Amino acid sequence: MVDEKYKVKDYYPTIGIECHVQLKTKTKLFSSVSNEAIDAEPNTLVNHICFGLPGALPVLNEEAVRLASKAAFALGTTPQKFSKFDRKHYFYPDLPKGYQISQFDEPIILDGSIVIHLEDGSQKTINITRAHMEEDAGKSTHPSGEDFSLVDLNRAGTPLLEIVSEPEIHSSAEAKAYAKELWLRMKYAGVSDVDLYHGNMRFDVNVSVSKDSQKFGTRTETKNLNSFKSVERAVDYEIERQIKALEKGEKIVQETRGWLDDKQKTVSQRSKEDAHDYRYFPDPDIPPIVLSDEYIAEIKKSVQRMPEEIREELSEAGIAKATIEALMESSGNEDYVGLVIEAQKDGNKFAAFVANFIVNDYFKLISDSRTQTNGAESLNKLPGIKVFSDVFELFSSNDISSNSVVMILFKFSQGTTGSVNDFVDKNNLRQMSNSGEIEKIVDQVIIDNPKPVEDVKNGEMKAIGFLVGQVMKASQGKANPGLAKDLIKKKIGV
Amino acid sequence: MSKLNPEEVLKLARLARLKLTDEEVEKYSEELGTIMDYFKLLDEADLSKLEPTSQVTGLVNQFRADEVVEDQKATPDDLLEIAPESKDRYLKVKRMI
Amino acid sequence: MSIWPSINDIAKDVKSGKTTALEQVEKSLKQIADKDADFNSVLWLCEERAKQRANEIDQKVNNGEEPGRLAGVPFIAKDNYLVFGAQTTAASNMLKGFEAPYQSTAIEKLEAEGAICVAKANLDAFAHGGSTENSDFGVTKNPHDKTRVAGGSSGGSAAAVALDLAPFAMGSDTGGSIRQPASFCGIVGYKPTYGLVSRSGVVAMASSTDVLGPLTRSVEDSALLLDVVSGKDSLDGTTIDRDEKSYLDFDEDSVKGKKIGIIKEYFGEGVDEGVESSVREAIKKLEDAGAKVEEISLPSLPLALAVYYVVVPAELSSNLSRHDGQRYQYSALGSNSLDESYENSRTQGFGMEAKRRIMIGTHVLSSGYYDAYYKKAQTVRTKLINEFKQAFEEYDFLVGPVIPTVAFKIGELNQHPLSMYLQDIMTVAVSLAGLPAVSLPCGESEGMPVGLQIIAGQKKDRQLLSISKVFEEIN
Repeated sequence: MVDEKYKVKDYYPTIGIECHVQLKTKTKLFSSVSNEAIDAEPNTLVNHICFGLPGALPVLNEEAVRLASKAAFALGTTPQKFSKFDRKHYFYPDLPKGYQISQFDEPIILDGSIVIHLEDGSQKTINITRAHMEEDAGKSTHPSGEDFSLVDLNRAGTPLLEIVSEPEIHSSAEAKAYAKELWLRMKYAGVSDVDLYHGNMRFDVNVSVSKDSQKFGTRTETKNLNSFKSVERAVDYEIERQIKALEKGEKIVQETRGWLDDKQKTVSQRSKEDAHDYRYFPDPDIPPIVLSDEYIAEIKKSVQRMPEEIREELSEAGIAKATIEALMESSGNEDYVGLVIEAQKDGNKFAAFVANFIVNDYFKLISDSRTQTNGAESLNKLPGIKVFSDVFELFSSNDISSNSVVMILFKFSQGTTGSVNDFVDKNNLRQMSNSGEIEKIVDQVIIDNPKPVEDVKNGEMKAIGFLVGQVMKASQGKANPGLAKDLIKKKIGV
Repeated sequence: MSKLNPEEVLKLARLARLKLTDEEVEKYSEELGTIMDYFKLLDEADLSKLEPTSQVTGLVNQFRADEVVEDQKATPDDLLEIAPESKDRYLKVKRMI
Repeated sequence: MSIWPSINDIAKDVKSGKTTALEQVEKSLKQIADKDADFNSVLWLCEERAKQRANEIDQKVNNGEEPGRLAGVPFIAKDNYLVFGAQTTAASNMLKGFEAPYQSTAIEKLEAEGAICVAKANLDAFAHGGSTENSDFGVTKNPHDKTRVAGGSSGGSAAAVALDLAPFAMGSDTGGSIRQPASFCGIVGYKPTYGLVSRSGVVAMASSTDVLGPLTRSVEDSALLLDVVSGKDSLDGTTIDRDEKSYLDFDEDSVKGKKIGIIKEYFGEGVDEGVESSVREAIKKLEDAGAKVEEISLPSLPLALAVYYVVVPAELSSNLSRHDGQRYQYSALGSNSLDESYENSRTQGFGMEAKRRIMIGTHVLSSGYYDAYYKKAQTVRTKLINEFKQAFEEYDFLVGPVIPTVAFKIGELNQHPLSMYLQDIMTVAVSLAGLPAVSLPCGESEGMPVGLQIIAGQKKDRQLLSISKVFEEIN
């Protein structure tokens, strides 16, 4: 029964999502050639097995099995003790053997479940029907106006994990949250590089609508979405399109559709394709996988902090939910969460300090520098925990202003080395925290600015800000503004 | 004696990407029928409590270490050399979409 | 009398300088040129490369380097083995023009020991058949009678050895394809335990039963070759560990006191009188040598053929999917669309028998039929395997004929596939169970050779070769 709250016009939408994740192995699933296809020339990361030559036999990559087993824990379950591979037959030039090696009826993962976090703060459990290992197909391009297509088999044989959700998602927001949560889990389990831009993770959304909250309508499948946004938008588009069609009295055709990001719509990819009969049968070339209790226990141990644990831990430090999500969701190679958790050892305040700098300031630094370098990888690198610790200490004892905090950390992110204290001294950043000194300046400012002082005495608190500004000016920015404000108030007597 | 009907035969041929003449469709229709009849022998066996065998070695967990082997038996250039058609290191095939 | 010494002796002579590798290669090439025209056992020559390799080996000998246990020994490989120096066609137009860019592991192992492939042998196209009549390049005639078949699918390999074209040939056995032609041609044909020899680099037929093995003039030659080609291969996940001992380490008492079961279901109606009496005589000799001989019944055996003709076409239809004209020859020219290019390549490339088996295989795997045919057949297979296992708990070896008849006349059985298929009745069960078996020349009938089949338990290859050696001596 689909809850009323999901209703769009008169219809209850239902969504199921299939996600293909590239496992981060060094080599392909069944052959010992490199898996790193980014920037490789076409047909260079291939051997006789990738090309499906006569006599070529597949041999299973042990790391792929290990990563898939890890993924089981990331999906809220344990890997199946017994699983095997099957052949899935169809003819296509990017599928060299004429069959894909996949897992049909005995996959490595069954019956998982994850909790998704929506932007409105709510949570929901989505069950995972299954996840299985399979090899990816090659890539094809179709030069316009030509009668041929071009096939690159670099990607053929790359190990994938296909994760299938139960049809328990009922809105585009939930779909987006689900996609995000899978992404986080695969990332933190160390299963995949989850680089969406390079296609490490692709989503297919199955969408249907029905007037009856207890029945599903006919579904369509929109394939190869590669961002959370496009997942959300494709779902919205399909729901709308299907409702419009049904209201007009049309029938929904069960078909495959593609998403056009530039036009923000789905389009039918129905070809003169005949129905597939994949003729699955167990692959005789690959002995089955039997995982021992010891192996499974080892794998469980190796799966360290999952998003749920991170959320719990960092919330305890008092870090805001949005900041935690931002820390987790950031892509790139640096371990932001790791650094914050390390900081937590020295107290929650410090952890929050680090977290806030990263999210509020560092991310902007990176994106700005990316803009300048046209999207090339930023050369910024987060300073080590000691630098953060030193800066935090100076800030906590009022020796430096909050502006200086950001400036110092930026410089250290951009290559400055050496001690923080030396840097502060060399750049004259030490705040005047000696009340005696500031008091002298405050006295002078009060004498020099009788009207604002009068205003303050008359209740215009805004004038305090002006006076603080004057103190800052007179001290060349070195005075601790908080301290200055307190002294001014005291001296004036408010 | 059973026969497969022509539609079934054509469907199989299509799945296998084989083009059949009308004669061949008729021939397979009969031949496949006869062979399928012969398979009915299998129905006589008592198969209770038995599982299918797909591999006779009894092997499990035959893994390969996740290490790149630079020295492959056939190089990428060797593979492209024997391809019927290629262009700029791509395999060239008839239009796919 | 053969013009070739034993493989071991040839290698010894090459190493000692009594002869050279080049001389051996030229001897083989001359045999082929002189004798094969009437028989068509050889499809393609690897002349240039063979001479080149011979020179390399002779160089090694001259430099005092170790040239290998098979130094300078020429051989012929069934044309489903990927080998450099000639095309690999599997005797089918579907692979006409295919120049292998890599070699099969078995060939690499032979070459590492100094053996030299001089030619590719004829076969039933894609190993589909029992007579080599299904070759797209003509039938191979039986060296003992040109009007009869050499057998199949390794017909070319068996005939080549019987014709003395080379000291040995390599073949493959999926359901009898080494044993049957060996029986028809009167030579030794050895089928190892499944998994003992890597299948990497051999055109696949049925992945779960395909086995590679030697065809030779003596048991010792087969044992030496098994020693060289067996062992786990990182390119084939279905390979098993080989025996720790050498396969030439023949057991002392390999016949005396051994219990041998005569398979009841392999005798009686349908078996040629001459074949039966020849085989029974051979068994008697084993008894006289001290073996305890009894009849044993394996009631599931009559089902083996049905199991085989479901499972094998299913697997081969899948294995043949890769032959589509998109990445290697044969590729049809002048197609106007992708679909056409697939259909034209495959329809023009595959012969009648391949197409038939592809159709059967596609049918038994297709949705709606999988449980009724494929799954059921694989379950009956379990029954067969269990029966054999049980038999080998009591018996050391099982014996019987290889095939109900001697070599039949060319064209005789081509009328209907089922009659051809029924010939396989004595060999397929062993293939389905992955057991080792051998065909040993044991006598004659109608002037044609008859083979004795000895079967052993899984991985008992060394023991099987031991009893074969004794039989060879007492026969």
